[in-house]
Amino acid sequence: MKKFKENIAHVLFFVAAIVSICAVLLICVFLFMSGVPAMQEIGFLNFLGGTKWAPTNTVPSFGIFPMIIGSIYITAGAIILGVPIGIFTAVFMARFCPKKIYKPLKAAVDLLAGIPSVVYGFFGLMVLVPFIRQTTTAIGNATGWEWIYSNGSSILTASMLLAIMILPTIIGVSESAIRAVPDSYYEGALALGATHERSVFFTVLPAAKSGITAGVILGVGRAIGETMAVIMIAGNQPRLTGNIFKGIRTLTANIVVEMGYAEGLHREALIATGVVLFVFILIINLLFSLLKRRSEA
Amino acid sequence: MKKFIVSLLIAAMAATALVGCGSGDNNNAGTNDNTNEESNANTEDEANAGTEDEGTDESTGNGVSGLISVVSREDGSGTRGAFTELFGILEEDADGNEVDMTTQEATIVTSTEVVLTNVAGDPNAIGYVSLGALNDTVKAVKINGVEATVENIQNGSYEISRPFNIATNGEPTGVAADFINFIMSEEGQAVVSEDYIQAAEDPQPFESTMEAGKITVGGSSSVSPLMQKLIEAYQAINTNAEIDLQTSDSSTGLQEVMDGTSDIGMASRELKDSESSLTATVIAIDGIAVIVNNENTVDDMTPEEVKAIFTGETTTW
Repeated sequence: MKKFKENIAHVLFFVAAIVSICAVLLICVFLFMSGVPAMQEIGFLNFLGGTKWAPTNTVPSFGIFPMIIGSIYITAGAIILGVPIGIFTAVFMARFCPKKIYKPLKAAVDLLAGIPSVVYGFFGLMVLVPFIRQTTTAIGNATGWEWIYSNGSSILTASMLLAIMILPTIIGVSESAIRAVPDSYYEGALALGATHERSVFFTVLPAAKSGITAGVILGVGRAIGETMAVIMIAGNQPRLTGNIFKGIRTLTANIVVEMGYAEGLHREALIATGVVLFVFILIINLLFSLLKRRSEA
Repeated sequence: MKKFIVSLLIAAMAATALVGCGSGDNNNAGTNDNTNEESNANTEDEANAGTEDEGTDESTGNGVSGLISVVSREDGSGTRGAFTELFGILEEDADGNEVDMTTQEATIVTSTEVVLTNVAGDPNAIGYVSLGALNDTVKAVKINGVEATVENIQNGSYEISRPFNIATNGEPTGVAADFINFIMSEEGQAVVSEDYIQAAEDPQPFESTMEAGKITVGGSSSVSPLMQKLIEAYQAINTNAEIDLQTSDSSTGLQEVMDGTSDIGMASRELKDSESSLTATVIAIDGIAVIVNNENTVDDMTPEEVKAIFTGETTTW
């Protein structure tokens, strides 16, 4: 009887495990089956390297290069703005924070992670977009720099918002990485005469490096996959630009913006865009697990 | 190994950023061309100066000076398709292929509401929305001196309009047939003409077959507010019918009809070739209003001016 119960439990857990694996496999199969033929029809190079996106013209162009660059720009911007803040917050929380502030601070960071992305997007649309518009107009009027004028929906705006959105990921992972560093490192540094700040920044932080890098990579994954918030504030123009005060379209935005009305090859091209995004995420996850393995070894 | 991965990542980012900047330079060359054209645009502005004079005193800085921010809908949107066609932004190139010339600098948004929010919030913005969705937060400009109203579309003086379609898979039966009869009847078209223009030439009074059953109507979010009213009016007559309204978008709605998951599809555009197996009926005509911010003092434009702004030839107010 006991054996029988045991077996049932085994089967139950096995099925549960299978479900998630099946889900991933199904998504992979669906994406590649519907995306790859479209890519072949358009031509891999034309699709990945083309700079013109005009899906509804009689002779349509499906070049997603601007969107690939757009995703990279906005993600890079978010990393540049968000990572220093995130790491310093983590250091503060792990090593400098008085007990009194720790609880509310931790709660605030957790809350930041729980806010739905559409709320972030709305905040961006109502607060950041007008702020950038007014600031750039003021600077432009004062200096006469024509390139700085912006209507507020820009790479910079999206990067700023995404920087806030990836903070909880970076803070959470970095903090636990810093806490995982053995106390002997810190104590050893103190014993050699280093101050508290020096010990933290020059012994504890380097020891937690791989954990922190893992956090940053997770942040990259979150930033590159973010859709709703970015659509609302990035402008979504499908063209290349080197100006961070102009808008751009990301891979995720391209799919959502046009999926509703697309049909035929246009629809398949959007699914193929999903394939490219999927490959990006795969690479990021691979890097993450590689780093994790290193840090455990 | 870790270092290798990190440096690889950085190298990849740097490389792509450089490529992006390179192409950005090309774009800058493009904007220089635009500045040359701006002088032409300015002469046009001077011609309009008479209408703008009232506002210029108080609106220096945040009124109608500076770059125009063009707000457009996404490729494939019914509203965008109709708008680009009606203003000649959809041009034929040398080979007779249709090319959408909407400026690449246009902010792309995904719904009527967001167009309204964007234009309401940005003094320099211009956009376009369905006439039925127009509200006080923005200002609709007259085209050739004609205001965008239901009356003006009906008498033909405001020409910027497009059809609302419903589609069924083959001949409709049961409740669906009865409901479509209702839409095209005198009573149904009366509901239509509250906010839109009726499509039936000579609608007859409606006689319901009082058929019982349940049908699903799905599709375009532009048509959906009208459909909601039609369903309420119909159910007041035929109390046996149950109609489920699902709002998604034109393509999804029509796809669902082809798949058989819904009975009637709604589209705010003409049917495409791949959807030609469906039977389509025009139920209403909707106007498209060109809108600007309330602070903007421009209130009359010619179709040519609208086209010049949306194709990126005119870049400043």
